[in-house]
Amino acid sequence: MSATAHSPLERRRGRIFAPFVAPAVALYTALFIGPTLYAVYTSLTDWDGINPPRWAGVRNYTQLLHDPAFASAFGNTLKILFGVGAVLFVLSFGFMLMLREMRGRRLIRGVIFLPHIVSSVVLAIFWGSLLSLDGLVNQALGHLGIGAVEWLRPDRAANAVLLALVWINTGYYVTILMAGVDRIPDSYYEAARLDGANAWQRFRHVTLPLSWDVTAAAAVLWTITSVKIFEFILAFSGNQGALPPTYQWNNAMFVYGETVGGITPLNRFGYASASAVTTLVFVAVVVIVLRRLMRREALQF
Amino acid sequence: MTTATTEATGPTGTDGPTGADGRRAPAGATRRRRAAAVLGRLPGTAAVWLFTGFCLFAFLYMLISSLKSSRDVLEHPWSPPTELHFENWSTAWNDGGFGPAFLNSALLVVAASAVTVVVAGPAAYVLGRRPGRISNGLSLYFVLGLGIPVQVMVLPLYALMNRLGLIDSLFGLFVLYVVTSLPFTVFLLTSFFASLPAELEEAAALDGVSAAMTFWRIMLPLARGGLVTATLLNAMAIWNETLLALMFIQTDDRFTLPLALLNYFQQQQFTGADFGALFAGVSIAILPMIGLYAWLGRRLTEGLTMGAGK
Repeated sequence: MSATAHSPLERRRGRIFAPFVAPAVALYTALFIGPTLYAVYTSLTDWDGINPPRWAGVRNYTQLLHDPAFASAFGNTLKILFGVGAVLFVLSFGFMLMLREMRGRRLIRGVIFLPHIVSSVVLAIFWGSLLSLDGLVNQALGHLGIGAVEWLRPDRAANAVLLALVWINTGYYVTILMAGVDRIPDSYYEAARLDGANAWQRFRHVTLPLSWDVTAAAAVLWTITSVKIFEFILAFSGNQGALPPTYQWNNAMFVYGETVGGITPLNRFGYASASAVTTLVFVAVVVIVLRRLMRREALQF
Repeated sequence: MTTATTEATGPTGTDGPTGADGRRAPAGATRRRRAAAVLGRLPGTAAVWLFTGFCLFAFLYMLISSLKSSRDVLEHPWSPPTELHFENWSTAWNDGGFGPAFLNSALLVVAASAVTVVVAGPAAYVLGRRPGRISNGLSLYFVLGLGIPVQVMVLPLYALMNRLGLIDSLFGLFVLYVVTSLPFTVFLLTSFFASLPAELEEAAALDGVSAAMTFWRIMLPLARGGLVTATLLNAMAIWNETLLALMFIQTDDRFTLPLALLNYFQQQQFTGADFGALFAGVSIAILPMIGLYAWLGRRLTEGLTMGAGK
């Protein structure tokens, strides 16, 4: 090892190291990490985005605690993360198990991935034409002699969004889980079968332990992506340049709604930053807890 | 059930494909168990097909509606078009603003995904092939970015771009797309470069080829698969990106496709206008992605799942 450390290769690589990483590190630091740190700072100020920020201590955070709009947004963020997440993972795991031994699995995998490759705005438009008062569902019900249902009534619209999020994301997570499960050698299943293991036992003792890492990674991925969900809610629930009603907001929408969004922007940059930082801390905590909970000894295969 | 039983206990085994009785009994039992398994899986199979059918229906519905009259879209959403309204597409392209938006999106996708790879590639190369404390630290530094939601940094970025006069500018949006694509691209390409064999690099060094040249002439061609995957994933993400475009672009003629769609869709609710043209606009936004997916889909799903598989 010590011989290679002084090889011509190592020396040459050493010379290009700085010029090769510098542009990426500089851009990323200046326009990604820098603004993130600045957001943490401005969350402690009364910044309006234009004038210099004035120190306000933790006032924004205490105000968030008493803001019903933020409580509702945070509640919706939790519903998406844990509620949609639970349904999503049960469904994806089930589909993945079914698909392992199904005819037409290549076709199915190709089709269910489609929602992931198009803009959420498109999916929101479809979801709207599905559930609107004279939409696809109600017209089909009409043919069956059932009267139109108000799917988008305020008390139902939130669930319509949650359901859509399950639909949009299932194909992607099935694909991720399958990529993990496909790496399990068939011989393991053969061996289990020869030992007389039934389908449940094969799942419990082969599939589950060997796909645990992928499942854990997928759970972390969902945690991070679920808090970013924004376009679908805006396109589905907002109209005419107005914001969606606050009961439809999640944290990402809150940041937009409290600053530049809507017909009359509020420009509460400091306050919105406090909500964004709260989201960031929350995500970090959930990711750490998930990793702790799902950690076990790595199985090599 | 009955056939399986008679087969398993049948006294004569002369015309069966498997000769001896002793070997037929387990075969019958297996078949019975398999039949039970198939029956047990029936609800699951049905659910999977139902879900698949729904996804397929959604896309067919949007594409087919783009050829229907606005009235037919509204009043007969389930019926196929009575006559083909190709003019929806020209209406969307010209009057709906989807033409300029298509060009803006295409320009941004090409420029930003190319520049991202140009910036991230060299960095990923040295990070992936020169393990050490500094390079591991820097890799971690980039991974950190994967976990930071864009809404955290977007407000300071807005103020910064405002000061630089880059609000409502496609160039400003291009810069933001490069920056936000960097963490994932560096992450993906680092693991890709790390997986390449070391022999060629060592041979090149012994032959006196400079390190920069080794990267350019030897390692980059080897990493082509990873570069294509990264470019493709970034292109798709940028094509569909909405939040940054929404916050940083204001004028109609600089709209990207998601903005044009959002705008047209929300205008429609106001004016009650042309649903055929709306779905033509939707089709203009989704067909390039479907085409790309049909062409390079395998590479795409591999790349998307690569990060999670690690």
